[in-house]
Amino acid sequence: MARLLKITALLGLMALINPGFLRFSEFLGKAEAHGVGYQASTLKPVSLEFFYSTGDLMSYLEAQVFSPADEKIAYQSGRTDEAGRFAFTPNVPGKWRVVVKDDEGHRAEAEVDVTQEFLDGGSASEPGSAPAVEAKKAMPEGLELYIRAGLGVSLLFNIAAFVLLLKRQRKAA
Amino acid sequence: MHISEGILSTQMLAAGWAVAGVGVAVGLKKLDTDKIARVAFFSSAFFLASLVNVRIGPSSTHLSLIAPLGLVLGWSAFPAVMIALLLQALLLQFGGLLVLGANTVNIALPALIVYLLFGSHIRSSDGKVASVLGFLSGFLAVVLCAVGVAFFLGMTDANFMGIAGVIFAAHLPLAVVEGLITMFLVAFLKRISPDILMGVER
Repeated sequence: MARLLKITALLGLMALINPGFLRFSEFLGKAEAHGVGYQASTLKPVSLEFFYSTGDLMSYLEAQVFSPADEKIAYQSGRTDEAGRFAFTPNVPGKWRVVVKDDEGHRAEAEVDVTQEFLDGGSASEPGSAPAVEAKKAMPEGLELYIRAGLGVSLLFNIAAFVLLLKRQRKAA
Repeated sequence: MHISEGILSTQMLAAGWAVAGVGVAVGLKKLDTDKIARVAFFSSAFFLASLVNVRIGPSSTHLSLIAPLGLVLGWSAFPAVMIALLLQALLLQFGGLLVLGANTVNIALPALIVYLLFGSHIRSSDGKVASVLGFLSGFLAVVLCAVGVAFFLGMTDANFMGIAGVIFAAHLPLAVVEGLITMFLVAFLKRISPDILMGVER
């Protein structure tokens, strides 16, 4: 019995001075560092809305944000919400791009001009300058739509008239 | 139905332009220029149809009139569609300029296929049979357009089957609507002015 106790004590001592034991201690330390928490961010987000020309919202679609610092690798990826909205929090000034696309070949690309003044503006509740977002309609609306549609039809018939005229001139010659 | 700019790979954009270029060249060669007003009329109809939204269930889409365009214009559907799509890109911000070739193929090729499959049968059939064939051509044209869009996207994204399933499901209700429109249009033209269905080719 006494011999068994001696062997156990010896094994315990070896474990204490063994590097493997030290690694185990490190693992325990890291496991503690993986605890999670949260708090309200002091940075202001940029929120955008995406929609189709039919008036439908671009809901639950893949969205990617590209920072001015790296235009190839996405700074953030996610999905739009039910209302076609997507928000991100920029961390540097410059032109940010947000690309939203569906599986049917539609793609919307928004450009957001984030200024240093906006970044310094603090939390959303504090007054600060808004980022410049050049809104893009899915297609022209109202009178402008009718004018452009009329212009298109007019151009098509003018092209046809031009071809006919050309043919008659050739015949006459 | 319009693929947006920035979606397709360079290879697919080039393939679209190559096929569209051949189609436009053949279409212009075969076109009887005395009937160019008809081409302009149907090109205008296609141009405007995209502005007509059709509410189907929870979502909405726009008309295309691919089959009527094909049944009347045949090969000339290629130049008619390309010019209309160019104007849509410039004036209405639909599609885009680089992707114009692929979009032309997606619309004009189904129009040509239904013309080759159903055109002569519709011309030679009586009113009721022609109407049924009209429905089939309208339905098939939209389905083929969906297959074309899925092909271009699938070849770019390497997920053809997944994309094809989504696009096919989205276009199926429109296929029925376009089938009905083509059916009524064919019946109307057979009764009022059957010579329009004789085409615009030399």
